[in-house]
Amino acid sequence: MLFQSKKPHFQHLKKKWTAQHRSLQNKLWDAHGQSLNWLAKNMPSRHLAAGALGGLLLLSAPAGFALAQPIATSSENITAGFDKNILLAEQLKKMVPSEMRNLSPQEESDISKTLSENFDLIVKPEIDGLKLNRTYGLIGGEQHLYRYPGDNLYKHADTTSDWAMYGDAGIAPGLGAWGYFTPSEAQFSEKDKMREKYYIAVQTFLAPGFAENVAKYRDFFKFRKMLLLNPQTGQAVVGVIGDSGPAEWTGKHLGGSPEVMQDLGLAGGPRKGAVLYFFIDDPKDIVPLGPIKVKGGN
Amino acid sequence: MPHFYTRFISVETIVQELHGLDLSEEERIHLAALIDSSIHHAILDEVLSNLQDEDKKLFLKLLAEDEKHEKILDFLNAKVDHIEDKIKKVAGDLTAKMHQDIRKAKEKR
Repeated sequence: MLFQSKKPHFQHLKKKWTAQHRSLQNKLWDAHGQSLNWLAKNMPSRHLAAGALGGLLLLSAPAGFALAQPIATSSENITAGFDKNILLAEQLKKMVPSEMRNLSPQEESDISKTLSENFDLIVKPEIDGLKLNRTYGLIGGEQHLYRYPGDNLYKHADTTSDWAMYGDAGIAPGLGAWGYFTPSEAQFSEKDKMREKYYIAVQTFLAPGFAENVAKYRDFFKFRKMLLLNPQTGQAVVGVIGDSGPAEWTGKHLGGSPEVMQDLGLAGGPRKGAVLYFFIDDPKDIVPLGPIKVKGGN
Repeated sequence: MPHFYTRFISVETIVQELHGLDLSEEERIHLAALIDSSIHHAILDEVLSNLQDEDKKLFLKLLAEDEKHEKILDFLNAKVDHIEDKIKKVAGDLTAKMHQDIRKAKEKR
């Protein structure tokens, strides 16, 4: 623990739950240490680190249990952890303007081609002649959205760590531009959950032609899949348009859910920054929502 | 990260209780990590205790390989009767104890 706290209620819980955690660890390892060690010996380390075991289990093996560490035996192991998104950021520095302005059609074409190649997706500034007002802008952090009638902030957390990381953002008092993500809690699906988790708000009302074709544009933008990328770091996320905004006077061009901001590396400090945002042409709905790595990266 | 059991355990009430405590971001993250890891250890212990040795290995292999956890529940349902109920009970018992701890912590403010 790298911080100090003298709050008595925190100290009470920390002491109690650390002891309980240690006891649960010891119980698990006493009963099943042989099987867990078998796994460590027989699985590539990248699987152990990436999966559920790495974060919550193997890294916290209690003292006295020396886990057998697998050794690197292939080029894949040797390059494990190498992040190709950083290389993409370097490549984009030559293509993205240093000032905050909209991209020219040529820049949009060049950048979308680069993104398509790097992520193995069909990334476009427009689909069927419909486009947003811009593809490069300033994103700001948004709150969570109500997903169904009766939803609340606490239900958004799958784990307590979700709440610790994203709960502070709060929940918007009003609904998103398309209302609830689903009509009732009973109909709430994993797909709805992921859509709210990785939603963005874009200025649909400023899209060229919007005023003349409101219904057509509203339907086109609803849950439209987009690739967002922080050109400074290469961090990228696939999200959906789940709300309309922000207002022009804010100086921001789009908004991201707490999870989107986290995955773009923009959750700290002012909770805003420059991003590229392009449509993903995914008519079969194959591309999963969430953080995305350059193909061949880890 | 969602786990194979995320769908049938709920941390909503724990989160709601913690939300009412005066905690900094670091304190929140620290306590949340203890809760999640404790639940994870307790559930893994319960699952492994209900499996034969060879099935333990298969389960752990699936857990490490199948990041989306699509096959794990099918596997467990085929091997253990009422595994979902068993997991719910373990998680429920643990979070009930944590609720008591939070109530006692509130008295210390």
